[in-house]
Amino acid sequence: MIPGNKDNRDGWLFSIPFLSVFGLFMVYPLAFGFCISFFKWNILGTPSFIGLKNYLDLFADPKFFSSLWHTLKFVLITTPVLLVLGFLMALLATSKSPLASAMETVFFMPYIFSMTVVSTLWAWLMQKDFGIFNHWLTQLGLPPVGWLTSDKVAIWSVCIATFWWTAGFNMVLFTAGIKQIPKEVYESASIDGAGGWTQVFHITIPLVYRTTILCLILQVIASFNVFGQVYVMTGGGPAGSTRVLVQYIYENGFKYFKMGYSAAMSYVLFAIILLVSLIQYLILDRKEA
Amino acid sequence: MKKKLMVALAVLLAASGLFAQGSKEQGQSQKASGPVEITFWSLFTGGDGEFFDAMVDEFNKSQNEVVMKNDTVKFDNYYTKLTTALAAKNAPDVVVCHQANLMSYAPNGAFVALDDYVSKDVLDDFPAAPLDACRYNGKLYSLPLDVHPIVMYYNTDILSQAGITKLPSTADEFLQASKQVKEKTGKWGMLVDNTTGTYKAYTLFRLFYSMIYQQHGTFLTDDNKAAAFNTEAGAKALDWLKEGVADGVNPNGLDYDAAMNMFKLGDGAFYFNGVWATGTLEKVDGLHFQAAPLPALMGPEPWAWGGSHTLAVPVQKHMDETKVKAAVTFIEWMTGHGEMWAKAGHIPVRSSVQKKEAFKALPYRPGYAGAAGYVKACPGIPAWEEIYGTCSDLLEAAVTKNQDTKTALANMEKTVNDILAKY
Amino acid sequence: MAHSNSVYKREKLVLDMLKRLAELLLIVIWLFPLVWLVITSLKTEGEVVTKVFTFLPVHPTLYNYTKAFTSTYILNWLGNSLFVSLVTMVLTILVDAPVAYAFAKIHFKGSTALFWMVMAGMMVPFQVLIVPLYLQFNAYGLVDTLTGALLPRLAMPIGIFILKQFFEEIPDALEEAAFIDGACRFSIFRRVILPLGKAAITTVIILSFINAWNDFLWPLIIINDTIKYTITVGIANFQGTNGTEYALIMAGAAIASLPQIVFFLAFRRQIIEGIAMSGIKG
Repeated sequence: MIPGNKDNRDGWLFSIPFLSVFGLFMVYPLAFGFCISFFKWNILGTPSFIGLKNYLDLFADPKFFSSLWHTLKFVLITTPVLLVLGFLMALLATSKSPLASAMETVFFMPYIFSMTVVSTLWAWLMQKDFGIFNHWLTQLGLPPVGWLTSDKVAIWSVCIATFWWTAGFNMVLFTAGIKQIPKEVYESASIDGAGGWTQVFHITIPLVYRTTILCLILQVIASFNVFGQVYVMTGGGPAGSTRVLVQYIYENGFKYFKMGYSAAMSYVLFAIILLVSLIQYLILDRKEA
Repeated sequence: MKKKLMVALAVLLAASGLFAQGSKEQGQSQKASGPVEITFWSLFTGGDGEFFDAMVDEFNKSQNEVVMKNDTVKFDNYYTKLTTALAAKNAPDVVVCHQANLMSYAPNGAFVALDDYVSKDVLDDFPAAPLDACRYNGKLYSLPLDVHPIVMYYNTDILSQAGITKLPSTADEFLQASKQVKEKTGKWGMLVDNTTGTYKAYTLFRLFYSMIYQQHGTFLTDDNKAAAFNTEAGAKALDWLKEGVADGVNPNGLDYDAAMNMFKLGDGAFYFNGVWATGTLEKVDGLHFQAAPLPALMGPEPWAWGGSHTLAVPVQKHMDETKVKAAVTFIEWMTGHGEMWAKAGHIPVRSSVQKKEAFKALPYRPGYAGAAGYVKACPGIPAWEEIYGTCSDLLEAAVTKNQDTKTALANMEKTVNDILAKY
Repeated sequence: MAHSNSVYKREKLVLDMLKRLAELLLIVIWLFPLVWLVITSLKTEGEVVTKVFTFLPVHPTLYNYTKAFTSTYILNWLGNSLFVSLVTMVLTILVDAPVAYAFAKIHFKGSTALFWMVMAGMMVPFQVLIVPLYLQFNAYGLVDTLTGALLPRLAMPIGIFILKQFFEEIPDALEEAAFIDGACRFSIFRRVILPLGKAAITTVIILSFINAWNDFLWPLIIINDTIKYTITVGIANFQGTNGTEYALIMAGAAIASLPQIVFFLAFRRQIIEGIAMSGIKG
């Protein structure tokens, strides 16, 4: 950019603090973990090299696949809903309503709470016998729902808690995208007689395309790594029907002490996330061009 | 803006320094004279934790050679933390370890063999069975603080309301009594949790395990290499567990917390849980209950699943003989004062403690102390934790969905064998 | 004409009223879980788990709060969390801002690869790092220290991302002008970029504060001494084996979250606007 400047030197110089932290606390342990994945190791004893056995075992493990499926289910449910929800919230937050700013604050608020607080709170709201949701249902003359104890409902309950917790973050991203759209575009649309929803579909949505991609990529990564909410709210139950992959990784590593197997699964998950992100990036990037 | 932030930051940092402990590192070096300071990790939270902390305080007051410092980690995460610390040879001087988990550690040399440290008098004070469960290759790796078998709690008000005067002694009688409760009082006959909540449906597993042994079966083969429960005995046990739910005398979709809460509120007549529930149940106003050893529902003897909290001494990077000795002093004292720990509901192990007036005077506990003689400890194998958790999930599915007993057992057998093959 | 206009106005007014009502309802729904948290924490345990349901506490009590304060080290935990979060947020900026600047303004060899590495870092399941990290930290003597609790979180990919996006928006002309005045890279970074990037920096600071405050698994593993726990780890211990004590847990959650809420409300605009920066040109 600026002539006669040592860009290569400066670039790396400015990266030094980051590189040292990243190298020490990410690359190094990651490489270490990668080595572990070729060993049978119970963390206390001596590791024994078993080559690719951990990776091969994984393909014969029905629990690995069921956990992966639960994770996928979570990704498939939460990603579109959180995008739409975030977008709708952003519409409200950027509307001319006197409550717009209050809504923005309130919708974002849950995002600041810790996973533990959010999950215990929702587990309590959804508690089958003493929770307030079922109390209301009974008052309306409806049968109580096993929010966290029925295998048909449990995954949805976890998703609902997640919507409440993180939708606000997407809202903020969309809000910014919407605010970028010049007012004149809407004004001329109004003159042409386009109503509120027509404007949303023909102006707002196409123009927040880039924000949507950003949200999508961040959201997919976050959803693939889901663990805490599930672990606290359902413990993976009922009967393992909501056990997600990260939970299975955690259990294998720290409950069953199969460090190698656990590491191998982590790498498979990492590879999947990387692949999905890359595909998204390639498809969406080309579409835009 | 920036200034405001900076000021706020400075104030907050200063404030945090007042409270934050982390900035001050602990002095590691031991003073030449004065008491030996040793550290301890326990997994007791809630009510158990209060009793336990009181014991540690009492220990510290009772003598002036050893000072014990106790840190608590919630059960869920305890073993994660313990294992990482053991791997780094950085664990505290004494730790709690369930008997069922002991074999994940002892064979790997993570704990100090205690044979040369514990005095003979103390060893002789222990019954043979629970002590043997702490041995590996003939060496003793921990001392049991308690045994905690699964027992039966029953609501005396509900039983008398339902006109039940004699406790059921067979599986059929038990279901019959439960139905009678349901008909006469409209309350639940039994409260066996069958769904994962804060915890997995361990109660189902514990009962299944107990019932197999009552029928003189075993859960695994004698060499612990294969599953041995896919038998008549196993089928009978699972049928019994399924019937409670299928007959509508036990709620479906009941998790651990809810089962306990419903028993506390007097919503059910029979309740099965480990003896640790006593400490909580007796604090509930207006709840009239009794506790009895698990009845011999399926055989001549009342065999019951039981766990045991044991105390072990981790191997350190730099072993310090004085600390090991201090640790053993602590362990001997704690096991010798089991009557204090019994307040949490657990059954003390040492014979001398069981004879103490202070223990005999406690409500409920002496009534089920005899159950300790019929405890079936878990097989000491590293695969146990996975088998325990996985089978609990499978039993949960079988019971809540009323699966075919044969299919469910065959599936469980295959799963257990697969797990065993991988260790 | 005038008549129909007033009908139209009245209709619009009614419609507006309905909209406001609906919006108000949404706000109430979204806030309800928090309200319920507070209400539960003010009840006694017996009133929480009961067959006779009451919405508001019949005998409001601060018992759960007193218990949390008297029977645990909750004040220490709050202090520890504050320490960890504040140090994290200062260090995060020191680590993230320079590299974000490099990504945004310096065209150096390998920058694309490096940037993808940062993004990939976001995708790593943290569980795989625990054991290697612990063994590493044990070797450095960082086990059971608050420093050890905060170090692995310093390289915050999302923070780098936000800063990069924002720095890119700063016109090159400003930099060039400084160069002509003889300023070196570092002083440009310090005198031009940082002051102009204030908004984004504030955001990253706040996000890192929130993340550090909420971090659970790592502090749990690395810190042994109960008195050194962070608040998020500490309140997890409220859950015992003898049935969940909801009222107590909710009180703990309220105490643990209060500083967050204060922080959030104080810097609400900065947080929301700042996060939005990264969305601008996605």
